[in-house]
Amino acid sequence: MLQNIVEDMTTANTTIDAQPPDVPMSETLELKAFMKGSSQGWGRDQGRAIYGDLLTLVENKSGTLVFFVSLTGIERMDISFASESVVELARRFRGSKAFALTDIADADMIENLEAAAARKHQPLVIRFDGSTRLIGLQPSKGNIEAFQFARSHRTVRAAQFAAANNMPIANASMKFKQLWEQGFLLRRESVAESGGVEFLYFRIG
Amino acid sequence: MLETFKSRKTIALDCTITLPACWVGADELEDALRRSHASPHDSGVYSILVEFPTKCKVMVDAAIRLLSLINQLDHCAKRVRLAFEEGEAGTMGYLNRMGFFDNLSRNIEVLPDWPSISGKRRYGGRNASLVEIERIKRDHRDGTLLTRLTDSLMSTCGDRQDASDLKGAAWTILAELIDNVFSHSRTPLDGYAALQPYSGGGHVRVAVSDSGLGIMETLRPALKSEFPKLAVLSDLELLVEVFRQGVSRHGPDRGCGLKGSAAKAIKFKADLDVRMPTNRVKLVPAHGMYQVNTAYCHDKLPLIWGTHLCFKISLKT
Repeated sequence: MLQNIVEDMTTANTTIDAQPPDVPMSETLELKAFMKGSSQGWGRDQGRAIYGDLLTLVENKSGTLVFFVSLTGIERMDISFASESVVELARRFRGSKAFALTDIADADMIENLEAAAARKHQPLVIRFDGSTRLIGLQPSKGNIEAFQFARSHRTVRAAQFAAANNMPIANASMKFKQLWEQGFLLRRESVAESGGVEFLYFRIG
Repeated sequence: MLETFKSRKTIALDCTITLPACWVGADELEDALRRSHASPHDSGVYSILVEFPTKCKVMVDAAIRLLSLINQLDHCAKRVRLAFEEGEAGTMGYLNRMGFFDNLSRNIEVLPDWPSISGKRRYGGRNASLVEIERIKRDHRDGTLLTRLTDSLMSTCGDRQDASDLKGAAWTILAELIDNVFSHSRTPLDGYAALQPYSGGGHVRVAVSDSGLGIMETLRPALKSEFPKLAVLSDLELLVEVFRQGVSRHGPDRGCGLKGSAAKAIKFKADLDVRMPTNRVKLVPAHGMYQVNTAYCHDKLPLIWGTHLCFKISLKT
């Protein structure tokens, strides 16, 4: 079921060096390096062991907010492994750090990742076949427009969405806050033109 | 040889299971178990004879289910004899090639005699199309097990347009079912897995068998706290929900493995047979899912410990 949101990936950020100052720091990590020589992710126990190693690494990278997890060299991954490893990691850091999966072997692996992410109500950004997709939890009908607006910008403020859609800022702020809480976006505190506090929202991947 | 077979048959026995002289899958094995005048696990039964007549051909789902049952009976210190009317020329030779005897307790008596050479040792690894029973040992996870099982599928189905999808589905189904054995079965006895394409019958059988507590025994105690609405369901209804929405004793975050396996199997119009200790449920997909109104349940069956699952995946396009 890959009916999910598909986008052109040409504007997606990929490396630390290429980022403008207000885009969160990102880094690529190779999942294979944690697999102890195996090219297959099989079962909850293996998934949990790898989750522990990934957790340690991510906690030690306090400045990095977005991790591109490359699945190069991973031939297969079952649903239980996906659930206990990368999906659990994304859920653990929901709202504070984000994970996007790249170099996925085939549609079968995406299907397994999708089943695991949907079960944990976790959105997950993946890059496959030249496009970026959102699998797992999807934005609600009421928030889909705000999500698509945010996806079309590197960074965005609720005020921009409110102005573009002629809606109260409070309403737009609520939508962006919900998207952040559910793991669709990241955010950082910023100073509004008025001098007050305002959130700057970032897309993932 | 026939004479020996018949003469041995006359010995008084507590329980005789006679397989039919045809292809024997899980259905035929269950019929044979029902026909025997006593249940082999009954406390009064001390000796069990399993008869394999001429032209009896045992399919993988029946083979590993039978293997589990026989090893369970041996574990209970019962005397078990297997009588092969055709000797190694018949189904005994086929079972030997797939490693049946390598996984059978050495206490079991085999008539006319145990195979002289282990078929798995003689043929194993030489022919990709040769199906072998794989042992699931709880204390040792063999990382190459899944690849060995699914590679045999490609030697038969590699030319199909959807070969890659089929292999992916079979890999995930086996991965999830076997992982379930590691996680849930809580038994000192090994489990078994096997996969066999049957070109003539237009299907693949993917079977996993364990001798643990059984899926309902582990799930039901947790229902009251985790899924109170499901606690009132019958075994059949609950099993449908296990594969349709995913239900786990560990709570709502879990259970996606069996649900996802079923979703992959249903894409290939797969029937699912689940044998529990004393009942059995067959699920047939309708409208892209398993449903209660297309499920069949058999109750009060002879006891077999554990959970024994078989997906019968259609190869017909």
